[in-house]
Amino acid sequence: MKLRLIEKSDLDLFVQNLINDYQVDGVKRKEGSFLYGSIKSPEELCLDFDCTVIPPKKYFLPPEETLFQFTSSPALQVTPVMESNPFILFGVHPYDIKAINQMDRIFARGVPDPHYLKRREAALIIGVDPTKVAPRSFWADMGAATVSEGFDLMLTDIGESFIVEIGSNKGRSLLEQHAKPRPATRNEARERVGIRSRISHICKKRGFAFPKREIPTLLEHSWKKFFWEEQASKCLSCGTCNLVCPTCYCFDVQDNIDLDLVHGERVRRWDGCLLHDFAKVATGENFRETRASRYRHRFYRKGLYLFRLLDDMACVGCGRCASACLPDIADPVNLFNKLREDEK
Amino acid sequence: MDKPRVAFFDFASCEGCQLQVINLEEDLLQVVGAVEVVSFREAMKGHSDDYDIAFVEGSITRHSDEERLEGIRRCAKVLVALGSCAALGGINCLKNFHDQEYVKKLVYGDKALLYETYPARPLKAVVPVDFEIPGCPINRNEFAMVVKAFLLGKKPEIPNFPVCVECKMAENICVFEKGMTCMGPVTRAGCGACCVTEGSFCWGCRGLVDDPNADSQRDVLATHGLSVQDVLGKFRLYTGFSEVAK
Ligand code: SF4
Ligand code: SF4
Ligand code: SF4
Ligand code: SF4
Ligand code: SF4
Repeated sequence: MKLRLIEKSDLDLFVQNLINDYQVDGVKRKEGSFLYGSIKSPEELCLDFDCTVIPPKKYFLPPEETLFQFTSSPALQVTPVMESNPFILFGVHPYDIKAINQMDRIFARGVPDPHYLKRREAALIIGVDPTKVAPRSFWADMGAATVSEGFDLMLTDIGESFIVEIGSNKGRSLLEQHAKPRPATRNEARERVGIRSRISHICKKRGFAFPKREIPTLLEHSWKKFFWEEQASKCLSCGTCNLVCPTCYCFDVQDNIDLDLVHGERVRRWDGCLLHDFAKVATGENFRETRASRYRHRFYRKGLYLFRLLDDMACVGCGRCASACLPDIADPVNLFNKLREDEK
Repeated sequence: MDKPRVAFFDFASCEGCQLQVINLEEDLLQVVGAVEVVSFREAMKGHSDDYDIAFVEGSITRHSDEERLEGIRRCAKVLVALGSCAALGGINCLKNFHDQEYVKKLVYGDKALLYETYPARPLKAVVPVDFEIPGCPINRNEFAMVVKAFLLGKKPEIPNFPVCVECKMAENICVFEKGMTCMGPVTRAGCGACCVTEGSFCWGCRGLVDDPNADSQRDVLATHGLSVQDVLGKFRLYTGFSEVAK
């Protein structure tokens, strides 16, 4: 693997050059938190964030999007709406890249989802290694401290400069055309290894007390437990744990019709399995009426159903759910460790 | 199909919800084109008792209201509660937690004897209601959506998930992180979490979701520093008529 290096003093120029040629989005500070948004000048871009409130999934699966527009008379006419303006996502942590990689597989499976895939193809992803760990993160324990794919470039802050790993040909030309990279020396490359292991070490303070490979089996034996009722008694059914999760992808589809009752559009918006009506069907029946059954479902999705599909947990350890859940019952580390304790 | 005939009525309210209808702007013209408005005191002079859909604003606060509302119910094929006063009892129910003679004196002074009043209640406490559009005031788009659903012969659907969902979709930073408290986790969405987006918090004006976890919400508020009395106050501001505020 060939590594490049750009001086920190050249970073602003790199970002400015990108802004001149592309729509650039990245992390910005707001009221002590971090959010992805449009970057109009290099000073706005923050690279030393710990974790954003909402993950980058919003760029590929927006909170609300139009799938097609329709006219219902004289004859039904449908015009698909596809968005694919090229853009750069500057500053994505490896755990979020891992989540995007999982989403890519999910949305390409079966009937591929053109709305997601078009947006995804239009994106260039510039990753960045974390320099800070959010209080509830456990990505190191989830094997998401580093990723080997899913980025075009990957930056690591080594003090006076950034090491840049090239992840794709597009990334290579982006770097060469917009920055002044030089090859990284062997020592500099070693520094990256050291920095990565130090930050992982900090993150490893949180994690599972047992091998995560055992989670599917643990869940297979836990379906009927009273445990779930106990844990879910405080659940507000607010869906926050789903909406802030980079690996949750559920959505609801609705038709919005204009007042002329002829024109309209079909939209989809974020949904979440913790919400009361998530499993309600047209006849009025709700397959997951109780809080406990919905709460349990989320952990079964993360640790069993999707594990079977992805051969990995559908959780990358960002800790967003844990820090956003008001009664603090959404944290996978706490939950699975407790479940395991309960087993004994 | 003949255009549905629509009438608007008000009881104890600030008329803010009717104003929202008038403020529909270009949509209003389309609504007016699609229906026939036969009675709307705030916007027109005439009146007719021949209507299909009655939009009723305000809560019921005295015996004489009941007769009038029953009359509307008899004429209307569909009766819609417009706004939180009508749908929930709303802010008017704040007076229910005081002695009724005391509040009467407070408002009408030495003329108190001339007025009748009793604890405020939503329309559904008096007559069957076909549909409710909550909100203080109502959301205009939601009103337009309900009208469209009726025109299409569909049952209107308003969200049964909490404001937190729309708040996350709007990418707001949760106000609990900023030292404020919020009724969003138990309040019915549909407003786009506008108050949080504008820098405030959710007051709970759209009422509770169908199955609110009031106990957990009380715990959350208490953990963030509210006294038992303050917590009760949060629940009573708009949903004083519901069980959880007792
Ligand atoms: S687990 Fe927490 S975040 Fe998730 S729905 Fe329940 S209360 Fe909300
Ligand atoms: S389940 Fe929680 S910790 Fe895991 S990826 Fe989702 S938000 Fe992050
Ligand atoms: S955990 Fe729930 S919301 Fe998330 S993807 Fe799975 S079913 Fe959907
Ligand atoms: S600010 Fe209020 S509505 Fe928004 S997420 Fe927090 S609790 Fe929910
Ligand atoms: S955020 Fe809360 S108080 Fe504000 S409009 Fe919505 S429901 Fe009402």
